[in-house]
Amino acid sequence: MTAAAEPEAARQADLRAGDLRLRLVDRAPFLIACGMLAVLVAVYASLRSGVFSLDELNLDTAAAMTLLFAATGQTIVLLRGGIDLSIGGVVSLGTVIAATQFGDSPLSVLLWSVIIVGIGALVGVVNGALVTMLRLQPFLVTLATWSILSGAALMILPTDGGQLPSGWMAFGGAIWLGLSSSVWLLVALIVFWMWFNRTPLGFAIRATGSNERSAFLSGVSPLFINAATYGLSGVFAALAALYLTTQTGAGSPTIGKDYILPSVAAAVIGGISLFGGRGGLLGTVIGAYILTIIGNLVFVLRISSYWQPIVSGVILLISVLASSIAEKSARRSLT
Amino acid sequence: MSFSRHRPILLAYLGMFVLLALTSFFAPGFLAPAHLRTTAVLAAFVGLVALGQTFVIIGGGIDLSVPWVLNCAAVLMTLAARSQDGPLLWVAPLLLVAGALVGVVNAVGVSLFGVPPIIMTLAVNVILQGGVLVYTGGAPPATAPPLIQFLAVGRIAEFPVIVLIWIALAILATIALSKTAFGRRLYALGSSPTVAEFSGVPTFETTLIAYMISGFTAALAGMLLTGYTAQAYLGMGDPYLFTSIAAVAIGGASVLGGSGHYLGTIAGALVLTILTGLLPALNLSNGALLVVYGLVILVTVSLSSDAVSDLFASLARRLRREETSGEGASQ
Repeated sequence: MTAAAEPEAARQADLRAGDLRLRLVDRAPFLIACGMLAVLVAVYASLRSGVFSLDELNLDTAAAMTLLFAATGQTIVLLRGGIDLSIGGVVSLGTVIAATQFGDSPLSVLLWSVIIVGIGALVGVVNGALVTMLRLQPFLVTLATWSILSGAALMILPTDGGQLPSGWMAFGGAIWLGLSSSVWLLVALIVFWMWFNRTPLGFAIRATGSNERSAFLSGVSPLFINAATYGLSGVFAALAALYLTTQTGAGSPTIGKDYILPSVAAAVIGGISLFGGRGGLLGTVIGAYILTIIGNLVFVLRISSYWQPIVSGVILLISVLASSIAEKSARRSLT
Repeated sequence: MSFSRHRPILLAYLGMFVLLALTSFFAPGFLAPAHLRTTAVLAAFVGLVALGQTFVIIGGGIDLSVPWVLNCAAVLMTLAARSQDGPLLWVAPLLLVAGALVGVVNAVGVSLFGVPPIIMTLAVNVILQGGVLVYTGGAPPATAPPLIQFLAVGRIAEFPVIVLIWIALAILATIALSKTAFGRRLYALGSSPTVAEFSGVPTFETTLIAYMISGFTAALAGMLLTGYTAQAYLGMGDPYLFTSIAAVAIGGASVLGGSGHYLGTIAGALVLTILTGLLPALNLSNGALLVVYGLVILVTVSLSSDAVSDLFASLARRLRREETSGEGASQ
């Protein structure tokens, strides 16, 4: 009896070890991102005092939050296995509408904020519908809608400018319990994600991203899933636009393009696979902080700010190489 | 050589002629030789950058590194040549090779390490951008040498030189795509990398050549563009990211790879350039131009999509059935 139990126990232990290794390999991109962030923060802390303070957290989060909102939308689309370039257009259009329409009364601000978020959702639903019904590639559809929205933003406000109510700007700098509004928004975002991930929709989006055919065969409606995915992306892009205006205090018809590819970069650095289905928002948060800390480092080191794109590009390459190697070894250990 | 395979390309040319007809109606001066010449010159720059992009996209990739390959070549050329023709003898070939080498880096990342093309070429683009900015300190360099200016704006018997260069390269690209083993392998690779690999297509070499062509044409376009604008400036390549991809898409290629042709891209480049020239004539703003660009991409891409092809096919089938049933009734 003991002779039979021993190999069984050994087999179980073997399975468990293999399981752990697989899970580690699966999480490798995310763990590497955490490691890179830790190294960057350590370097930053060695160059400057007071890095581990609430002030620093507030400042960095405020700097990262616009990108993070845009990257949250991008994350949802990437998990679905698509890509959304129209985020840039929604951000531009959102800041421009806010800068030209916001009145002094809270009601007008609220009304126009809802309209901006509604436009974002509508743009996303149109993207999703075009992708599904005409079987077009997300890259081209969202490239086209990006162009259309940027054009619309330029027609509303040809150059940077406009005026935002002072109360609106005060929200961006507001502090509650020692934490700035941006940190509270981040907390809200993470709570949203923990809830969203468990909803049938969140599950269906990731399932569709992992394997489109089997998701559709198990009854997920392609039109609904695409409309929801791109719709959510549009909503988050609109939120990015609204947050951005609390920081800049103006509208800009061209600022959106600065968030398109960085939103993809933040997600990919955080371990989201471009092939869909892998990764989560926590990775994207880490990715957005990595990109922000690089900016701080360049500033503290007093080197030319032009080094920032170089370092970001190298970090992007390192993380994407690491995740593709991890993916390869995961596939090898599966076979 | 079926109609359905070439339908997107034919549609692109049809669109171009409709656009030209509309233009001559709304802006009568547009069809004057001088204006057509300007349009052709501007389209040539888009067409050159889009040439490499076409090869990469047919092979199933995408090259987002073109803007700063173009910009690097332009800046380094004016810096090294110092407005003299002499140094071009070594500078120009060196930069063309350097552009192709950027393609090698892209292809190694994409094909050997399995990095998604969007990410690989995006990273290379921002690294090049930072590199040029650090190197020049953000200040724009000297003016373009006379020879480059001649190539960009000069004429040989009424024909702009750059358009002649474009035509020559277009012929080479068409031969490469339609008549060579490399062309067939590129289409195979773009349709299905797995099938291509198992059928003995050297996937790495094929990807390598496609990205090298893209780096080469972007560098070439960058140097020639300095001749048109008289000097290099930072950010001069940025518009070409959008226009090169848009020209390929309007020309009927699928960004998933495996379809399309440079002949379509030529029409795409012409459509985009005619639109750019047309809108000022109609007193429309820059914003309106972007809106029209987006709509044109959506319409052309929809027209060549599978879903719309299927729709046309089923309509044709229904028409044929009605015809035959009509004949049956009359008998």
